[in-house]
Amino acid sequence: GLFLGRAAVAKLRVPKRYRHPALEERLSRRRTAQEARSLLRCRRAGIPAPAVYFVDYVTNSIYLEDIVDSITVQDHIYSVQQSGSDTSSLHNLAEKMGELLARMHDEDIIHGDLTTANLLLRPPVEKLDLVLIDFGLSFISGLPEDKGVDLYVLEKAFISTHPDTEMMFQALLKSYAATSKKSGPVIKKLDEVRLRGRKRSMIG
Amino acid sequence: MERRHRLELFPERSVALLLFQSVRNAAALRSKAVAGALEGALINPAMIVDPFQILVAANKAVHLHKIGKMKTRTLYSEIIFSLSPNNNISDAFKKFGISDTDTAVLIVLVVDSDKTINLESIASQVEGQQVSLDELPQLTDTARVKKMYKITPQEEKIGTLLDSVVCRMSTKDVL
Repeated sequence: GLFLGRAAVAKLRVPKRYRHPALEERLSRRRTAQEARSLLRCRRAGIPAPAVYFVDYVTNSIYLEDIVDSITVQDHIYSVQQSGSDTSSLHNLAEKMGELLARMHDEDIIHGDLTTANLLLRPPVEKLDLVLIDFGLSFISGLPEDKGVDLYVLEKAFISTHPDTEMMFQALLKSYAATSKKSGPVIKKLDEVRLRGRKRSMIG
Repeated sequence: MERRHRLELFPERSVALLLFQSVRNAAALRSKAVAGALEGALINPAMIVDPFQILVAANKAVHLHKIGKMKTRTLYSEIIFSLSPNNNISDAFKKFGISDTDTAVLIVLVVDSDKTINLESIASQVEGQQVSLDELPQLTDTARVKKMYKITPQEEKIGTLLDSVVCRMSTKDVL
């Protein structure tokens, strides 16, 4: 709704009753702090993410800028695939995504929950103006392993939510590699993580 | 002319903003405020980009006041402190509060929503001209704001100066 006259989103951390209360409090607090920290770090580095208006450490909720009239990349891919005007626009989108993630990783920001639902497109959609959201599981790390896992999570999300998008993800990775100077070890780790994943033979 | 805004999270409280130019008695106002004889936070408008910035500071101050976790001694000093991007209280007062030679003053009041405030009593103490909040952008010293909040060049591409400022204000205690 409106927060002090501006369009805002309130992220209220719903207490998970199945958790032990002490753990719940600590986890909530940590996630809220991590989210706030990552959002500030993104902003300083020029990585598009919502602005933080207010952090309430009592209820562990964050009040953020509402990216008005945006659509998720997930919804956008659905609609493009439905209408049939494929390859070129989605290819460009993938390139932009790769570029954005490379810049984020170069700042040692690990998103932690990369999915197409956590990437927004500002209107007008043709401009491919991306905004990253939902940094609740994010953390700071320089390790290629963590960055590789971040990309792996996105790859899995892509495959499971959007059929026939292997080419798109390839383009994303290519653009990632071209944008980030530290991408070599990250891609290497990604390959390793792929071999490690669920239902993968770890014999040997 | 003045602006009044209810705090959504604290509906029983409202914030009123009054802006004055050509102020001649900044020194007297400041000592009155320090002594507790003048109600309100006296802020240097040059450091303010938009009234939203003040509202965010006031919201945070009221929140901390309610839970008893203010860093400064009064609600009004807490509002001034909340404007600062760092945790140095005296620096905040120096940079965001008014100095004896200032000619423009922004007064912020926090009142109960259902009470009508006597703005006259405040305005009459200021030897200056009350102007509309619409004049605020002209009084903003953008260069000084950018320096104080340490705004990076990359940031300017992804959002407004106000976004950057408010971000730093709201996340300064997490770092």
